[in-house]
Amino acid sequence: MRRVARHPMIVVGGLILAAVIVASAAAPWLTRADPLRPSFAQRLRPPQGFGAVHPLGTDNLGRDILARVLHGGRLSLVLAATAVALAAGVGVAVGLSAGLIGGRLDDFVMRLADVQLAFPVIMLAIAIVAVIGTSAAALVGVLALSGWVLYARTVRAAVLTIRETDYVEAARTLGAGNLRLIGRHILPNTLAPILVLGSSQFATMVLLESGLSFLGLGLQPPQPSWGLMLAEGRDYLSNAWWLATVPGIAISLVVLGANLLGDGLRDVLDPRLRQ
Amino acid sequence: MGAPRLSRRQFILGSGTALMAATARPRAARGQARRGQVIAGLSERMLTLDPANHYSISSTSVLRHVYDPLLDVTNDDKFVPALAESWKPINNTTWRFVLRRGVRFHDGTPFTADSVVFTLKRVRDNTKLIKSFVYQDIEDVRKDDDVTVTVTTKRPFGSLPAHLTMLGMLPPTTGANEDAFFTKPVGTGPFRFTSWTHGDHVELEANAGYWRASVPKVDKLTFRFIPELSTRAAALRAGEIHVIDRVWPDMVSTLKATPGIKVHDIPAVEAQRWHFQLAREAGKDPRVRKAVSLAIDRNTIIKELLLGYARPVVSPVPPGLIGHTNLGQKPYDPDRARTILKQAGHQNLTLDFVLMKDLYPKQLEIAQAVAAMLGDVGIKVNIRNLEIATAREQRTAGNYDLFFSGWAHMPHDPDWYFGQWFTRAGAEKMTRFNDPRVEQLIAEGRVPDPKVRQQKYEEIQKILWEDEPEIWPYYSVAIYAVSDKLRNFEARRDYYVLLHEVAIA
Amino acid sequence: MRAYLLRRLWQSAVTLVGVSVLVFVILRVIPGDPAKMLLPEGAPQAAVEALNRHLGLREPLWIQYALFVRSVVRGDFGQSFQYRAPALRIVIERVPATIQLALTAMALTVLAGVPLGILAAVRQRTGWDYAGTVIAVLGQSLPNFWLGIMLVLLFGVTLRWLPTSGFGGWPSLVLPSVTLAAFPTALVARLTRSSLLEILGQEYIRTGRAKGLGEPRVVLRHALRNAMIPLLTVLGLQIGTLLGGAVITESIFAWPGMGKLVVDAIFFRDFPVVQTILILSATLFVVINLLVDLLYTILDPRIRYG
Repeated sequence: MRRVARHPMIVVGGLILAAVIVASAAAPWLTRADPLRPSFAQRLRPPQGFGAVHPLGTDNLGRDILARVLHGGRLSLVLAATAVALAAGVGVAVGLSAGLIGGRLDDFVMRLADVQLAFPVIMLAIAIVAVIGTSAAALVGVLALSGWVLYARTVRAAVLTIRETDYVEAARTLGAGNLRLIGRHILPNTLAPILVLGSSQFATMVLLESGLSFLGLGLQPPQPSWGLMLAEGRDYLSNAWWLATVPGIAISLVVLGANLLGDGLRDVLDPRLRQ
Repeated sequence: MGAPRLSRRQFILGSGTALMAATARPRAARGQARRGQVIAGLSERMLTLDPANHYSISSTSVLRHVYDPLLDVTNDDKFVPALAESWKPINNTTWRFVLRRGVRFHDGTPFTADSVVFTLKRVRDNTKLIKSFVYQDIEDVRKDDDVTVTVTTKRPFGSLPAHLTMLGMLPPTTGANEDAFFTKPVGTGPFRFTSWTHGDHVELEANAGYWRASVPKVDKLTFRFIPELSTRAAALRAGEIHVIDRVWPDMVSTLKATPGIKVHDIPAVEAQRWHFQLAREAGKDPRVRKAVSLAIDRNTIIKELLLGYARPVVSPVPPGLIGHTNLGQKPYDPDRARTILKQAGHQNLTLDFVLMKDLYPKQLEIAQAVAAMLGDVGIKVNIRNLEIATAREQRTAGNYDLFFSGWAHMPHDPDWYFGQWFTRAGAEKMTRFNDPRVEQLIAEGRVPDPKVRQQKYEEIQKILWEDEPEIWPYYSVAIYAVSDKLRNFEARRDYYVLLHEVAIA
Repeated sequence: MRAYLLRRLWQSAVTLVGVSVLVFVILRVIPGDPAKMLLPEGAPQAAVEALNRHLGLREPLWIQYALFVRSVVRGDFGQSFQYRAPALRIVIERVPATIQLALTAMALTVLAGVPLGILAAVRQRTGWDYAGTVIAVLGQSLPNFWLGIMLVLLFGVTLRWLPTSGFGGWPSLVLPSVTLAAFPTALVARLTRSSLLEILGQEYIRTGRAKGLGEPRVVLRHALRNAMIPLLTVLGLQIGTLLGGAVITESIFAWPGMGKLVVDAIFFRDFPVVQTILILSATLFVVINLLVDLLYTILDPRIRYG
C-alpha cells in the first residue's frame, strides 16, 4: 500500500482525477451561472479569464461555458466510467473464460465477437434505441457493447500465453483450482493491458457519446454533457474555438489523470517487479 | 548598341499570336471565348443521372446543365422558354406546347415532339420512377407535329408548367436500353456528361453546339459533393473551388474576412414550418396552438440566432410564388399566451418537439431557444433530435407534438404544398389535418387561370393563418460564397447553383 | 493445427451466414422506411407503398432472404436504393480510397507508436517517458474532428501546403491519415511501453544481460517479440475499425471511403449497400482475427489451441 501512495504517477494521476470529479460534483457551488438558460444577447463571448462573469466564455446560445463544463462533467464522467467498467467487466470475464476453458466455448464466443464487430456502432445504436428508446441506460449499453471485444481479445491472448508457463503448470500440479489460478497468477499478469486499455477508453467513450448524441441516439439537448458540447461546438471551430476546446480540455485532463493512474498502478502491481 | 531587336523568344511568341489570330475561328470573334474550368462544391450528393428519378433540389440543379426542360424559372419567379418556345392552356384540362426548332441532342439527334412524348409518357407509366406520382394526372400526350405537343389531364393541372421546369427532356432512343443510356447520358443542355464518381464528383464539358449563343462560357465544369460545411468553406478559402452553396449564417463572417471571396445572400422560396400533431391533446386545442405561437419570439430568432439571415413571415407561401399575400406578422406576446393557457386549463403542458438531424441550419439551437421561450409561459418542451428515418416514422405514427420542418417550393408552385399537407388524404398519415373548406379551395385552385388561383390561395391562407395548424417562424435566406475569379454568378432563391453563364477570370 | 484450421474455416462460414441473417432482419425491423427516404416529404402514401412494393420490401421476410441468398450466390448483391446501381459496384468503388487511407494510417501508427513506446519504456521515469505520456494523452483525447479541422485550417487554408479535401494523389493522403492515426498511435505507444516494461523485468532478460549482450539487442530481440502479442490484438481490431469506422475523418476530408458510405447507407436505409458492406466487413474481421490468432502461435510457441 505504501508503494502505491509513494509512486509519483499514481499520486499525480489520482490528484488530477480527484480534482475533476470534485469540481464537477461541486458545480452548483463553484458557479452561479445557469448551464441551461439561453441568453441571446450574450452569444459567443470569448473567454474572459479568471474572475470575470464568463471566465470561459459563452456558447452559441449565450450559456456560460464554465457552468456547462462543470455540470456536464457529472453526466459525462458517470456515463463514460460506467460504460468502461461494463465493457471491461464483460470483456475480461469473457476473455478469461475463452482463454482458460478454450475449445468450443472459445470458438463460440470469439465468433460472436466477430459477428458483432461487423456491425457499425451507429447501427447497433439505432437498433437498441428502437427497442428501448433513447435513455442514459441505452447509451451506456451501446457504449459498452462497442468496447468489450477489445478487452476480451487482449485478455484471451494474455491467458493463452500464460496458461502454459512453468509456474502455472507448477501451481496446477500442486492442486490449485481454476479460480486460484485466475486470481493469483493469471489476472495480475493481464492487469497491465487492461489498465492501459481502460484508461484509454474513457476518452473514446466520451467521444462516442458525442457522436451518438449529436445523431439523436444518445442524450438530448439542452443537457450539457461534454459530448453534446463537443458536437455543438463543431460548427463553430473557425470562429468560436472555445466552444469545442473547453470540453476537449476537460476530456484531456481526465484522460491524463486516468493514464497516469493506470500506468502507475501497472508499475506497482507488476508481479515480476515485486521481487 | 544599335536598334532594338526582337529577341528570339519575342519573335516566336509574336508570330505565334499572329498565326493564331489569322486562323481563329469565327466563333471566337463573336464574343468572349469559352475557356477555363469551374469547380463547385455542393452540400448534397447527386444520386442519379435520371431527371425523372429524384426529387432533390441539388440534383435538379446539377442535371439542369446536361438536360434542358421545356421551360425554366428565372430568379424573379417568371417562367421563361427553354425547349418550349411557348405554352398555353387550351382549357382547364389541356395544355399545348410549341417547341423550339433546330435543337440537337449531344449525340446529334434532333430534338422533336417525339422526345417530349417519350419523356412524359415514361415518367407517367414507369411507376418505379420517383417523379412518377406527380404525373399520374396526365391523361394523354399527343404529338400534333414535330414542334407541337398537346397534353391532356384527368383533372385541372395548373401547376404542370412549374413541374416541367424540373424534368429534363430525354431522347426517345433512351427507351431501348435505359441502363446503358444512363451510364453515358445525352441531353440537349449546355454541358455534356463526361464522368460521375458516385458520391464524390461529376464532370461535365462544354456543349459547343448549344442553342443559346455564347453559352456556356467555360470549357469544363466539375461539381464536387462536400456535405461538411467547414470542409466546403475550407476548399473555397484555399482557392481549390470557386463556389459553394448552403452556407450557414455563422460561417459568413469567416468567409467575408477571407480575401478573394464574396458572400451572396438572397431570400429563398422556402418557409420554415413547425407543424402540430393535430390528433394529440396539445395540438388538437386551437387555444394551445395560439398560445405557442404567441410565446415564440420570431424576431429574436431571426436577429440573434440566424444573424439576420432570415425574413419575417407574412403568409405561409413565400414571396415570388403565386398565392403570396400579406397577412401581417404574427405577434410576440408571452403574457397573453400565459393567460390563454390558464383559461384553457392547460397549466402543466409538455410538448415533444421532434427534429430531423442536420436538416436545417441551426435547427438544434433554434429548438433550444424555443424550448426556453415556451418554458417561460409554462410549457415544458422535450427536444427529440432524431435521425431522419426514425423521425419520419414517428411523424407517421403521430408521436410528436411539434415537428421541425421546412418547405422549399420546388417546383415554384404552392399547389403541391397545399395538396400534401392540407387535404385529408395527404395529411392523413402526417399531421391529420382535415378541413373541408380548405380541401375545396385547394381543388378549385388547381385550374390554370392565375387570377383564380391567386384568389383561392389567399382564401386558404387566411383560414390557415387564423387556425394555425403550423408555426411559420421565418422565411429562409439562401447564402452562397463565391471566388472573385468567378464572373456572372447569380445567387438563386431556389438554392439551385446554375453555372451556364459564369466565366472564369 | 490442420484440424484447428478446418474448424476455424467452417466457423467462418457459419459466422458469415449469421451476420447476413442478422443484418437482414435488423434492417427490416428497425423503424425507417426506404421508400420514404427516396420520395420527397410531400409524396402521397400511395406512392410510398408502391415504391416499397417495387423494392421487394413487402414480401414475407424469409422470402426476401431466400431471394437475397440466391442472388448473392450469383454475385449480385442487389441494387442500391440510393444510387439505383448494383450495390457491389458502389461498394467496390470505395475500396481504393479506403485501403489507401487505412494502410497509411496503420503504417503511421506502427512507425510512430512503437518507437515512442519503446523509448518511454527504456527511458522510464525520465523526461522522455513523461513527454510520451503527454503525446499519448493528446492523441487519445483530441476529438477526431477537432484535429482534422484544425489541420485543414492550418495546412490547407492558411499555409496552402496541402489540399483541404478530396481523394487524389499523395498530398491529399497526408492530413486524413494523420488525423485517423492519432488515437491508435497513442494506444499503441502506451501498450508497447507497458508490455515492454513487463518483459524487461523478466528473469531471462536479466540472464541475457548477464551474458554480456549489448542492451539494445536484448531489448529488440527478446522483449519486443513477446510484447507484440497484445499489440497485435489491438492492431488487428484497429484495422477493421479503420476500414469501417473512419466516418468522421472521411466526412471532414470529403474522402470517398467505406466508413461514410456505410453510415450514409444506414441513415438512408439503403438496405442492399448496408448488407453488402456488413457481409464484406464480417469476412474481413473473420480473416484478420484468424490471421492474428495464427500469428500468436508464431510469436509465442507456447500458445496452443485446444
